[in-house]
Amino acid sequence: MATTSMQLSREKRKAVFRKVSLPYLYLLPAFAVMGVITFYPLIYQVIISFTDFQTKDLLLQLASPELKKVGVQNYVDIITGGLPVQNFEFFRVLIYNIWWALTNVMVHVPAGVLIAVLLNTQGLWGKRIYRAIFVLPVVVPPIVVGTVWKNIFDEQYGAMNQFLTLLVHLFGQIDPVRIRWLQEYSPPIPWLLPNGPLTLAYYAMMIANFWLGWPFMTLVATGALQSIPKDLYEAASIDGASGAQQFWNITVPLLRPVMIPAAVYGFTLSFNLFNFVYFMSGGGPARSTEILVTFAFDLIRNLRLYGVAAAFSVIIFFVALVVFLITNRITRATESYTEA
Amino acid sequence: MASVTYENVYKRFGDMVAVDNLNIHVDDKEFLVLVGPSGCGKTTALRLLAGLEEISSGAIKIADRVVNDVAPKDRDIAMVFQSYALYPHLSIYDNMAFGLKLRKTPKEEIKRRVTEAAEVLGIQDLLTRKPRQLSGGQRQRVAVGRAIVREPKVFLFDEPLSNLDAKLRVQMRAEISKLHQRLQTTFIYVTHDQTEAMTMATRIAVINKGKLQQIDTPQNLYDHPGNLFVAGFIGSPAMNFFPGKLRKDNGRLVVDAGDFVVPIPEKKAGPYKAHADKNITFGIRPENIHDENFVPLNIDVEKVAVKVDVTELMGNEIFLYLISGKNTFVARVDPRSSLRVGQQAHVMFDMDNFHIFDAETEETIR
Repeated sequence: MATTSMQLSREKRKAVFRKVSLPYLYLLPAFAVMGVITFYPLIYQVIISFTDFQTKDLLLQLASPELKKVGVQNYVDIITGGLPVQNFEFFRVLIYNIWWALTNVMVHVPAGVLIAVLLNTQGLWGKRIYRAIFVLPVVVPPIVVGTVWKNIFDEQYGAMNQFLTLLVHLFGQIDPVRIRWLQEYSPPIPWLLPNGPLTLAYYAMMIANFWLGWPFMTLVATGALQSIPKDLYEAASIDGASGAQQFWNITVPLLRPVMIPAAVYGFTLSFNLFNFVYFMSGGGPARSTEILVTFAFDLIRNLRLYGVAAAFSVIIFFVALVVFLITNRITRATESYTEA
Repeated sequence: MASVTYENVYKRFGDMVAVDNLNIHVDDKEFLVLVGPSGCGKTTALRLLAGLEEISSGAIKIADRVVNDVAPKDRDIAMVFQSYALYPHLSIYDNMAFGLKLRKTPKEEIKRRVTEAAEVLGIQDLLTRKPRQLSGGQRQRVAVGRAIVREPKVFLFDEPLSNLDAKLRVQMRAEISKLHQRLQTTFIYVTHDQTEAMTMATRIAVINKGKLQQIDTPQNLYDHPGNLFVAGFIGSPAMNFFPGKLRKDNGRLVVDAGDFVVPIPEKKAGPYKAHADKNITFGIRPENIHDENFVPLNIDVEKVAVKVDVTELMGNEIFLYLISGKNTFVARVDPRSSLRVGQQAHVMFDMDNFHIFDAETEETIR
């Protein structure tokens, strides 16, 4: 009797083990791949952020005899401005970066919603064509967008200056317009961001990124608009709401639960919009439009400071984490109104 | 407090005629129910009155004022939607107060009206909640409450009970009737459920394919349907129809349904005499067909041979599904009936209560 019951319990234990271990077995391939391409570089980066890793160490990596442990020196240098880099103050770039992302979203969301509402007008002709067209910027790679807009804002032959020249000619001005969009350093509105110059390049990039950014918001808003029951507008019109009142009392509050996550997404996208910024202004003039990720790239590409760049990336990670936690809270705070 | 009039109202959607020459006059304080099968145009008729659709031609009057070009908000109406259409982001209080706020009603006045309406409907405890926290029945009350606080001239209901379960529907039916008595206002109510129409209306307008079929009190519609459609639509289970012929047999007028022949009593034969030898449809309600052992006293009956197909015991009555030749029909008989499935038997047609329709025009012959 005793043996059978023991055998039984062993069988049972095996079954339980199989039941518990099976899910992990399924997860193993994914974990293996993630380990190689995500976790390993992550940990490696943290390790070299505490060293003076440079070009000389590239061959032997961590085994390099010349690799020195420098402790938190890289971090201290970044934050206190001890880097051998011109025009770089960490907090100025950080604040500009946040400002850049925030102002972009503040323009994209209302514009996206407005365009979506206009395109949603009943009896509008060619709705499908417009909807197909405005997806275009979403699918064009930001590198292409950055390069094209860089050319548009070129001082000599850019379309923007040519257009403005045409415009001033109409008013009798003869001289061609030669605005140095991406080179001029003195800020046109000095008080707008007191701790750093908001150069013309910032405004040029806002315009270019507007082109890039609104279609996504319109896309999201269009979907959300179509999910608002028509009944609500009818009830409101009987209740006495004018078109504008319906917009503010129904459309806006019912779009909110959809648009806030979209805005959060847009914020993080603009916050780390590397290819666009890098190809349009390269962070210039004088690093005035530099964002954290473009600066990190510059540390390696031009200065070959791998250790510092690694430390910088770790800092960006924590900045991004804070941004994520805040936005996540905002997103969760906006409950969906969908009826159960 | 107002009458409502439809005058030669048409509504076309492209080639489709949704409302076809509608003429209805609804008196002040009346409870009119528009009833018909789905897609018959009854909801469109209501939406025309609300101003949610524009009429193609004709005129709609509220309190003798033509409102064709008046915006919904200026028609002094309130509407309860099938989906309730509560504003999901507003609390129940704000849902009810919304229309009043837009009309710049003083705060205290809003509060007074909302609290009053909430008390009438028994939803005082729900005022701070959001619509999604409410059950279907509660939402329905809020939708009614939102209409009440506006104190409109006319209340419009668009199938308000169709999303509720059967029990709640019966309960709300009674409450809406009570509300009508209490408010003493014109109610116009759309439903596809003839039971709702029968139980609540002071008058019913039966609509089919965009056309008004008949408008009358519930009892008159039931007893004297104007045509085949109304006869079949009002009443549950529906009236039985038998295609047949009127013919003279030994000087008596008889209905020849092929499988059975029933003579028409002399006292009722008057209007049918002119239609002898014409194709007709003979109609008789299930409750006017009796088990031969339980025939009420003092009625004229005619015996018809049948086979019992299905029996449904309801407790207080039995539904018999019967076959006579190629005709199948329903009888609602005394629960003591001993007729069983498969049995050959006789049932008695009450020849004091039948209807005869012209086979071509489908109009009642009378």
